[in-house]
Amino acid sequence: MQERAADWARRRQGPDRLPLTLARRRLYILPTRAGIAFGALLLTMLGAGLNYANSLALLLTFLLAGFALVAMHECHRNLLGLALLEAAAAPLFAGSAGALRLTLENPSGRAHYRIRVAVANEAAMVLDLPAGSRGQLALPIRASRRGLQRIDRLRVSSSHPFGLFRAWTWVHAPITVIVYPRPTGSLPLPADRGARSGTYPRGTAGADEWLGLRPFRDGDSPRQVAWKAYAREAPLLVKEYSSSGSPLRLLSLEDARQADTEARLEQLTRWIVDAEAGGDLYGLELPGERIPAHRGPDHRHKCLLALALYGS
Amino acid sequence: MKATRAAQLAPRSPLLWVCMVTAAALLLHAAQVFAWITIAGLALVGWRLAAAAGLARLPGGAVRIVLGLSLVAGVFAQFHTLNGLAPGTAMLMLMVAIKLLETRSPRDQYIVVGGALFLLLAACLDRQTLAWVPLYGTDALLCCSALAVVAYASGTDDGALRLSPALGTREVIGLAGRTLLYAFPLAILLFLFFPRLPGHLWAFSPGEDAVTGLGDTLTPGGITRLTTSYAIAFRARFDGGPPPPDERYWRGPVMHEFDGATWQAGRYMPGEAQQLDCLSAPYRYRIYLEPTFRAWWLALDTVMASPAPSVRYTDDYQLIASQPVSQSLSYRARSCAHARSLVPLSPAARQMDTQLPPGRNPRTLALALQLRSRAGSDVGFVRSVLTFLRANGFTYSLTPPPLGAEPIDDFLFDTRSGFCGHYASAFVDLMRAGGVPARVVTGYLGGQWNPYDDSLVVRQSDAHAWAEVWLDGTGWTRVDPTAVVAPERIDHGILDLLPNAVSVSARIVHAWPWLNATLQRWDALNGWWNERVVGFNYRAQLDLLGDLGFRSPELRDAAYAFGAALLVWLAWISWQLGRDTPNRPRPDRLGRAYTRLCRKLARMGLARAAHQGPLAYAQTITRRRPDLATEVGPLLETYAALRFGPTSTPTPDRDLLRRFELAVSRLSARRRSDGDRSVKLRALWFP
Repeated sequence: MQERAADWARRRQGPDRLPLTLARRRLYILPTRAGIAFGALLLTMLGAGLNYANSLALLLTFLLAGFALVAMHECHRNLLGLALLEAAAAPLFAGSAGALRLTLENPSGRAHYRIRVAVANEAAMVLDLPAGSRGQLALPIRASRRGLQRIDRLRVSSSHPFGLFRAWTWVHAPITVIVYPRPTGSLPLPADRGARSGTYPRGTAGADEWLGLRPFRDGDSPRQVAWKAYAREAPLLVKEYSSSGSPLRLLSLEDARQADTEARLEQLTRWIVDAEAGGDLYGLELPGERIPAHRGPDHRHKCLLALALYGS
Repeated sequence: MKATRAAQLAPRSPLLWVCMVTAAALLLHAAQVFAWITIAGLALVGWRLAAAAGLARLPGGAVRIVLGLSLVAGVFAQFHTLNGLAPGTAMLMLMVAIKLLETRSPRDQYIVVGGALFLLLAACLDRQTLAWVPLYGTDALLCCSALAVVAYASGTDDGALRLSPALGTREVIGLAGRTLLYAFPLAILLFLFFPRLPGHLWAFSPGEDAVTGLGDTLTPGGITRLTTSYAIAFRARFDGGPPPPDERYWRGPVMHEFDGATWQAGRYMPGEAQQLDCLSAPYRYRIYLEPTFRAWWLALDTVMASPAPSVRYTDDYQLIASQPVSQSLSYRARSCAHARSLVPLSPAARQMDTQLPPGRNPRTLALALQLRSRAGSDVGFVRSVLTFLRANGFTYSLTPPPLGAEPIDDFLFDTRSGFCGHYASAFVDLMRAGGVPARVVTGYLGGQWNPYDDSLVVRQSDAHAWAEVWLDGTGWTRVDPTAVVAPERIDHGILDLLPNAVSVSARIVHAWPWLNATLQRWDALNGWWNERVVGFNYRAQLDLLGDLGFRSPELRDAAYAFGAALLVWLAWISWQLGRDTPNRPRPDRLGRAYTRLCRKLARMGLARAAHQGPLAYAQTITRRRPDLATEVGPLLETYAALRFGPTSTPTPDRDLLRRFELAVSRLSARRRSDGDRSVKLRALWFP
C-alpha cells in the first residue's frame, strides 16, 4: 500500500535532484491514529453537547475541533520550506549496516521540530532544526548485495506539534551507495608471491618509495616522525616508505579457490582488508583489470571498488 | 542551557504532564463529587508519580483489575447506578486515574489526555457558570500542552533519539496557547452556526442533587437555610421600568394542605387557570432563571399565561415545567399586579382551601372564631387578624425559638417571634379557622436593581412566604402578614432588616458600596453570559439567522453562512501561520527606539539601506535632506555611541536612553505636518 502510494507520488512529482526545497505540491498529510481517536472523541463530545443542549460543552468541542484544524496546518507548515541539501554515504560492505548522511536546512525564521527521515524501510531518525540552521542526520542503511546500490526513496515526515496529523513527502533523489563484497572466507592470505609474478610496483626496485603519512603508533622509530609537520602544529605523523622489507602480495581471482565467483570475490575482499590492516603492500589482478601493488586508504578503496563492480 | 532543558524534558516529562493533566481534571470535579472519589483519584496519580521517581512499584495487571473493580463497586454503592452524569463522571475520574498506573507508551499517554479532555467536557455539562470558565480554559490549555509534550517525546522512542534544541515548557504552553487562540474564531463560528437540536436525542435524568430553591413543603423554620444564601435565584429585565418594591412579589410553590405543622402543595386542581381581570397595566419582562433542580418557573405575581408549551399554568397561578430546571434558562412573561378573578371559587377549591386538621392548634381556632364573630365581613376579619398581629408584640426574627407540638398555638400565644413562614402559616390557619378560603404562597420578595445591565436581581436570601385569601368580589387577594409586623421587609432586603441573618461575606459586600458595585458589575457580566452564551439554543440560533437576513431560517442557510465564514477563517490561519516571525528575538529598548526612528525616517522617504550603519545613514540623510541634518544627525550619532561606543554596555545608561527615546518620539510628532507634505510633493515631481 505504502509502496503503491509512493510509486504514484513518484509518477506525480517526477524525479528529484538535491538540493531540494519541500514545496506545497509534494506534501501529503493524513491524521495519525491518535488523530483519528481525537476525532472520535470530538464526535462523542459533540453528541453530548447537542443532546444536553449545553452551550459550554459545545463551545469546548468546537474549540478543540478548531484546535485540530490549526494543528493540521501547523503540521503541514512544519515540513514546508525545509531544504534537503545533500546526501552521501561512505561505501559499506554487503551485509553490514552503514549510514547515509543527509544534510537538512531550515532557511525560515521559525524552528522546525521533530523532522523524521527514513530510507525506505529502515528506522527513522529525528531532528529538530532551529530557525535558520542546518543539521545532519545519519540514516541507517543496509546493503545486501555488492555493487552500486541505489537509494531511490527517502521519506521525510513529521507529526509535530500535537501528533494528531502526520505530514510527509517522498524524495526520489538519485543517491548511490557503493557496496563492497562481504569480507568473508577463511583461506589464509597468500604468501609473498611478488617474486613469482615479478611485478614490483613501478620504480620501487631496491629503493624505498615514499608512501605517505600515517598517525604515530607506539613503537615507531623517532627517525621516521615527520617533525616538520609536527612543528606546523600537525599531529604526530610518521613518514611511511615502502621497503623491500614489507610483504608484497599480488592477489588474483585464481588465488581464491572457492567454487563460486561471488565467494571468491568475498575472499579477495577479506584478504584486502587484512592486508591493509597488516600494513602489507598489495595489488589486485582481475580479468581485464590490474591494480599494481600499493597500500593506503585510497588504494584499498580502488581495489574494493574493482571487486564491487566486478562483472557489471 | 537549552541542552539541559532538553535533557530534563526528554524521558520523564510526558508522564509528568499526563499526571498533572489528570490531577487538574480530577480537581475540576472535586467540589461536585464525593470527596473519596477525588482523594482516591489523586492517590493513584501520586502512586504513579512515586513509581516514576523510583519510590514505589507499579501494580501488576491483577492488582489493577481488582482495584478497578472495587472502585466501580464503590461508585455503584454510592450512587446505586452507573448511569447518569454524576456517577458517570465519578467512574471516568477513577478509570482515568487507574489508566495512569499502566501508562508507559505514548499511546497510553494519549488515552489519558483524552480522558482528561472528556472530564473537562463533563465539568462543562455540570456547570456553565462564568466563574468556572477561566478554570476550564486553563485545563484545556494544559491538556493541549500535554498533547504536544507526548507527541514530541513519542518521536524519540525508537532509540534513534537525537536531542537538539527541544521545546521547553514555556514553548510548549505557548505553542498550545497559540493554536487554541487561532482556533477560537472557528469555535465562535461553529458555536453560532452549527445546527442545534430542538430537543434531546436521548433522555437523561438531571440528577438528584436538588440543592437550593424553594421547597415542596413549608414548615415554619424550614426557610432559614435559604435566607442565608446570597446566591442569585434569578434576574428579571422589564420592558418598562421595574415594579415598585411593594409589587415585587415573585410567585413560586403554593401550599394548600396543612397537617398542623407542615404545609405542602397538595393536590393541584385539574382545571384550567381562571381568567384574570387585570386592573392595572401588565408588566412585560424576561426572567433569567438559575438552575434550581425544581420544576417551578418563577414569575412576578400574578402571571397571566404560560411562557412555554411545556410549562403548565395551574389554576393557582403557578408555572410548573415538565422537567426540573437543570440549566439556566430564560423566558418572557406577562404579569398583572392588581387582578380580579372573574370566575367564582369552585366548591372543591373552597373545600380544599378551608380545610384544617381536626383537633390541632385549638387555641388558634378559638381566637379565629372569636375574631370572626366580631368582624362584620371577611374583609373585616382579615383586618382584625392583622390588627391582632400588629398589636400583640410580635417580632420578626430569623432565629425564632423552637415551637412545640401545636406550633401555631405556640407561635401566636407564647413565642410571638418568627419570620415570614411563621406569619404566613399562622395567618392562613386563622383564616381557614374563620371559614375564609386561604392558602400559603411561597416565592421571593424584593430584588436589587442592577444599574449595569438594567435588571432586577433576586437572591435566595429574598425568599419569602405570604398568604392569599379568597374575598368574594375581588377573588384571590394577597395578604402579607409579615409586612404588618416588619414593614421594612418590603422596602429593603433582608440584610437591612436582620443583618445577622446572612453570612459574613454577604454582610461585608453589603456594607461597602464599591464592593457592592463591583459585585453588581460581575452579576451583570454573569447575566450576559447566561443569556447570550449559556442560553444560546436552537431558538436563539434561528433568531440569529433571521437577524442576519435569512428570511426563512433553514439549516441549509446556516450551512452556507458557516461555509463562507469557514473559508475566511482558513485563509486567516493560513496567513497567520505563514508569517515567518515567531522566533525572531525581540530587540531591546535601544533597538526598538532605533527601529522606530528608522521607520519614521522611512516614512519621510529616507529609508535606511539594509547595509547601512547609523553613521553612514546619517551621512545619507545629510546629503539628501540638509534641513533634517542638524536634528537627525546627532540622534543617529547618539545611537551609535550608545550601541557601539567605548562606554557601550549591554544595558545602556538609563538616562541617556530615555532622552534618546524622547527625541525619537518628538521628531515624529513635529515632522508629520510639514515634512510629510514636502516629501510627497517631491515624490510627485521627481519620481
